Amino acid sequence: MTIRTRRGWRLPVALALVGALAVSAAACSSDDSSQQSLDKITMMTRLFGTAPKADGEVQKAVEKLIGKKLDITWVPNAEYGDKTNVVLASNNIPDVMAVDEKAPTFVKAAEAGAFWDLTGKLDKYPNLKPADQQTARNSSVNGKTYGIYRVRPLLRSAVVIRKDWLAKVGLQQPETTEDLYKIAKAFTEQDPDGNGKKDTYGLIIPKWPGGYASSSPYDVIETWFGAPTGWGERNGKLVPGFDTEEFYQANRWLKKWVDEGLINRDFATLDSANWNDPFVQGKGGIIIDVNVRANQLIDLFKQKTPDNIDKVVMVGNLKRPDGQKFSAPFTGYNNVLAISKQRVRTDKQLDEVLATLDKMQSKEGSILLTNGIEGRNFKAEDGKAVPINQTDPAVKVIQNDVDKAFIQLGTRASVGLGAYAPKYADEVSQKLYDLRDTLMQEDLKTAVHNPALAVISPTLIQKGSTLNLIIPDARIKYLSGAITEDQLRAEVKRWYDSGGTQVAQETNDLVAKIGK
Amino acid sequence: MATDLLPGAPPGEPKTRRPWRERVVPRKPGRRLASALRHRWLYVMLLPGLAYFLIFKYWPMYGLHIAFKDYLPFLGYSGSPWVGLKHFQALFAGPDLGRLMTNTLILALLTIVFAFPAPIVVALMLNEVRTSVVKRSVQSLIYIPHFLSWTIVASLTYLLLSADFGVLAAFIDDLVGGQQVDYVAQEGWFRPIIIMQLLWKQTGWGTIIYLAALAGVDTQLYEAARVDGAGRWRQLWHITIPAIRPAIVVMAILTSGHLLDTGFEQIWLMTTSLNRSVADVFDTYVYYIGITQGAFSYSTAVGLFKGLIGVLLISGSNWLAKRLGQSGLY
Repeated sequence: MTIRTRRGWRLPVALALVGALAVSAAACSSDDSSQQSLDKITMMTRLFGTAPKADGEVQKAVEKLIGKKLDITWVPNAEYGDKTNVVLASNNIPDVMAVDEKAPTFVKAAEAGAFWDLTGKLDKYPNLKPADQQTARNSSVNGKTYGIYRVRPLLRSAVVIRKDWLAKVGLQQPETTEDLYKIAKAFTEQDPDGNGKKDTYGLIIPKWPGGYASSSPYDVIETWFGAPTGWGERNGKLVPGFDTEEFYQANRWLKKWVDEGLINRDFATLDSANWNDPFVQGKGGIIIDVNVRANQLIDLFKQKTPDNIDKVVMVGNLKRPDGQKFSAPFTGYNNVLAISKQRVRTDKQLDEVLATLDKMQSKEGSILLTNGIEGRNFKAEDGKAVPINQTDPAVKVIQNDVDKAFIQLGTRASVGLGAYAPKYADEVSQKLYDLRDTLMQEDLKTAVHNPALAVISPTLIQKGSTLNLIIPDARIKYLSGAITEDQLRAEVKRWYDSGGTQVAQETNDLVAKIGK
Repeated sequence: MATDLLPGAPPGEPKTRRPWRERVVPRKPGRRLASALRHRWLYVMLLPGLAYFLIFKYWPMYGLHIAFKDYLPFLGYSGSPWVGLKHFQALFAGPDLGRLMTNTLILALLTIVFAFPAPIVVALMLNEVRTSVVKRSVQSLIYIPHFLSWTIVASLTYLLLSADFGVLAAFIDDLVGGQQVDYVAQEGWFRPIIIMQLLWKQTGWGTIIYLAALAGVDTQLYEAARVDGAGRWRQLWHITIPAIRPAIVVMAILTSGHLLDTGFEQIWLMTTSLNRSVADVFDTYVYYIGITQGAFSYSTAVGLFKGLIGVLLISGSNWLAKRLGQSGLY
């Protein structure tokens, strides 16, 4: 009986509670966003280390320059994609955010009107106006500009090799893929570390977080063998790179490496954050990645063996066995800064934000974002930034804030292209840094550009989630020996059957419409 | 007093407390209210629990309707267009459902077969231990893994089993003498590793409830059985197991409700390109599609479908428990 009595009252109590909740929820969401002032601009971008403090010197300096307060959300690089999706699903989209403009969630949100279409609106801002029309087109979404591209060098791919090991096994710097194979073989079998044990290998590859054509070591090697970077023309039509014979040749070649133990055996699982470790610890001796890795490795050797840091040699893209050279380029940008409409409602407000960004990307602003505060952490000398006061803890903070965080807000001068080129304290680092440009100029002559960078097929936006995993997964499975080449080909066919056929058709149509 | 103001409260009702028995009897609504008011502190104590369920369990269900919409955050709940069963059709017509079902069900089955009985067996074994020091210390030691997060368990697994530097992997390979196997990357090893992690982490914790049930068994029964000449096994079979059977049944029903919750964190952390075909389960798929790829409506539809199967499973096992003569959950 007691139970009956209580049950009779459960519902009313519950209803009353729901009512109370609804009222309080409504009370919370009753601010009118169009009335909000833009004295404070909210931003979100990538972070590569510890997040700067909001009252840090760099942020203060930037705020002083632009005359507005900043509220910056720093998101660790590894989780940036997930966080972007969560932010896009929230009521709290920052005014300015760095986004992958081809990510399905962003495209859907932008097409629904969540972001400003900046097509043709940037020309009146001298520092936001695209410096390079090709990159501007590549960073558009089917011809529409949704953001200001963050410039990067046009070509960054390189091969980094242990210099002392190379000398030990008596081999020259590689020029062809076969040279590299010989080096890897020697690194594996000739005991380059001299400890008497066969405990080393050649190439280090980590678990790759991105999909197909995301500048992974696999993608770079495929390009060397002549496969397109992403999309390429075959018989007058654009086809995805994995639908070419060169793709299979490259992977057959790389499979031989895996079979002969020339690659770390945990290449499918090694955390990419620990990519440098085997190199520095003397387990593996080759990394195929962006050229900035050479300097990263030197910095690590500085900590490990400070008196002997000259252990890295860097070469550019390699010729394939028949002597032809194809180089893997970069897109020339990395993400765009998009402006959300959540708080920025009117054209006048948009102008206010763009003018602020324009100040931020000025010469002075670029120096702040990419080099730091002149006289505090660096001084300019012959157009180069020379680090100063680096032992002062406060200056260390500035240097960290710039290198790991604020540089990600730069659009004109950016990673790999600082406002001032850095001047290194040691000769080894300086040489490797200077080598980047030499290699880039050389390799750009043979670069295989992706003609479809500017477009994204509607089907891919809808079905990308299932389609995008097929090829990279199958490639790794093939390399590890879990599937045969025939099965790899079957997976490519599965890609076409699961919607890839439409993707290819739409990509061709869009490229024809928009132009390369 | 407030009771007087309420409709239906009979006038002249004595305001003094009556004995409990008497208070149970009244059935008229007014009396009910009076009773509720008298027990108001009990209701107040109920509020936090109610609030928890409303805020964290019922309130979010409102969002489920985006499974029937093409939800775009910018357009909001009300602005997104209705699309009917489009996302469910996509799920049933698409290539993923079969794989998800298979993987989820196989893992669920393995969990029932290995992870569910493990605490019972361990509890029974601990129950037979005479020295209480040994019993207590073993019990505490096997609890500990429960308090480690899955991230740590996964990291430990990689450290132990990695083909490149895994201590345990190297040991096994030396023992077997075969070529080195990359346990963490191979499809065939995915499920065994998941089950082994589960056993290591949760068995000790699971024994608590059974040990509690075992503690409640009347020792006279054992004495009587011994007098009648029952050995250890007989005692186990005729006294111990019947005594903890209700606990087992309740745990079984509760487990069946969570069967499809195959442990998102654990599986997500152990997934690689090489084992994805056996590792994809509903939970990881929903996360991947919803958060990583941003297909909110579709992933909600998948999650809702999973929820429906979960309801079927729990009501099915409840029905089965009742058919087998046990008291069900409801």
